[in-house]
Amino acid sequence: MKLVRTDEPGSDLALMTDFAARQERAAGVLYDRFASRIYGLGVVMLGNHQAAQDLVQDTFVKLWRTADRYDPQRGRLETWVLLTARSLAIDSLRRRVLESRSLQSVGVQPEDDPEPLPDERAAVSDLSARAKRAMSVLSPEQRSALELAYFGGRTTAEVAALEGIPQGTVKTRIRAALLRLRSEMARESGDDV
Amino acid sequence: MTCDEVRELLPEHLLGTLEGPDDLEVRRHLRGCARCREERMQLEEGVSALSFAVHDQDPPPELRERVLRTLDEEWEETGRVPATPVATRGDGRERSPWRALAAAAVFIALVASAVFGVTQTHKASVATADAQSYQNLLASLGGLDFRIGKLHPTEGSTMHGQVLIYDGDPSGDWQSWAIVFAKAPGYTGSADATLLAPDGTSRELPPIDFEEGDGHTWQVTYSDLARFDSVRITSPSGEVLATATIEHA
Repeated sequence: MKLVRTDEPGSDLALMTDFAARQERAAGVLYDRFASRIYGLGVVMLGNHQAAQDLVQDTFVKLWRTADRYDPQRGRLETWVLLTARSLAIDSLRRRVLESRSLQSVGVQPEDDPEPLPDERAAVSDLSARAKRAMSVLSPEQRSALELAYFGGRTTAEVAALEGIPQGTVKTRIRAALLRLRSEMARESGDDV
Repeated sequence: MTCDEVRELLPEHLLGTLEGPDDLEVRRHLRGCARCREERMQLEEGVSALSFAVHDQDPPPELRERVLRTLDEEWEETGRVPATPVATRGDGRERSPWRALAAAAVFIALVASAVFGVTQTHKASVATADAQSYQNLLASLGGLDFRIGKLHPTEGSTMHGQVLIYDGDPSGDWQSWAIVFAKAPGYTGSADATLLAPDGTSRELPPIDFEEGDGHTWQVTYSDLARFDSVRITSPSGEVLATATIEHA
């Protein structure tokens, strides 16, 4: 996997400007660039294909509705897109928890999640294996902190409370984990870092 | 905030869990520190690496059509810009992005020369001429309204300036603009400009970067700006520097 800075602030701004102007071509380019990772994020965080597809749709609608707020000075388009998707996935997870609690409070047992289909089980299993391989370059502590913050949407204070460690330690671990992943990917692709 | 302090906060800032004054301080620091911006870039590459490594999976092919169709429905309901560069309305007037840009340039030049002139010289004849100029320009652009406001400094601040809003016609599929010119002798760095509405909603404009006490910001958008009737300018630490009430030109 090649680590390259393929996105240029100027071209990404032009792309988002065109997207905000409702150009189908720009929508297609954005979809082709980001849909697979949004979909995979949905599979990992939400656990099934249908929810992952809904996440992709919801993310692109939100991206369009907020397109004029995109500012390349504040970060890469890729980060903005992924974190928008992650935020929606976290909202979805929280809704599930609230709905479950609400049902239980009135004595209704929430339905168990339907059994995943065989291809869904395979997909999740495949992603889990990939995650394990990718994260194997991290220490267990770094991996745990990053998973809680990235996939769980936890603040560093929440991670610190969950792990029973100082908040500063959490920050250091997350930072180190991201830089480690970056350098590992660059090493694999032969780029200088 | 020092570079060390900012670097400690960068992961939270990047992941969107840093709020309030800390996030404002980090953003302010990043605007003026290439080294920390490079660190942020490296962390973003880490997120990218994580996303490719852990959750990159091809969705079903039919999802593409579904998403693009959904966007199409969204666009139809909110008014759609045709894919072709130039579209003609029923009254025969052309609309094009270049015409809008040219009009914007005329608008800014008109305002920069005339409005400042009006407020500084208070000549009734100039004011009358400029009001007619606004109406002429509005008629040619096809929008709904021009609105202006004068920035008044808060206690202890030296910031003053002008706010200009052009309210496009959403039904005619025109963009709206918001422009802020600010002067603040002795002020360095950046400031945040926020449009405010009576219902409590707000809209941030891009930050104002000051050079030798002068700064400006602007935004062109398909969003409806008509409900915003005031502007607030704040320092990165949240201190209010100036406010303006926006009224019809």
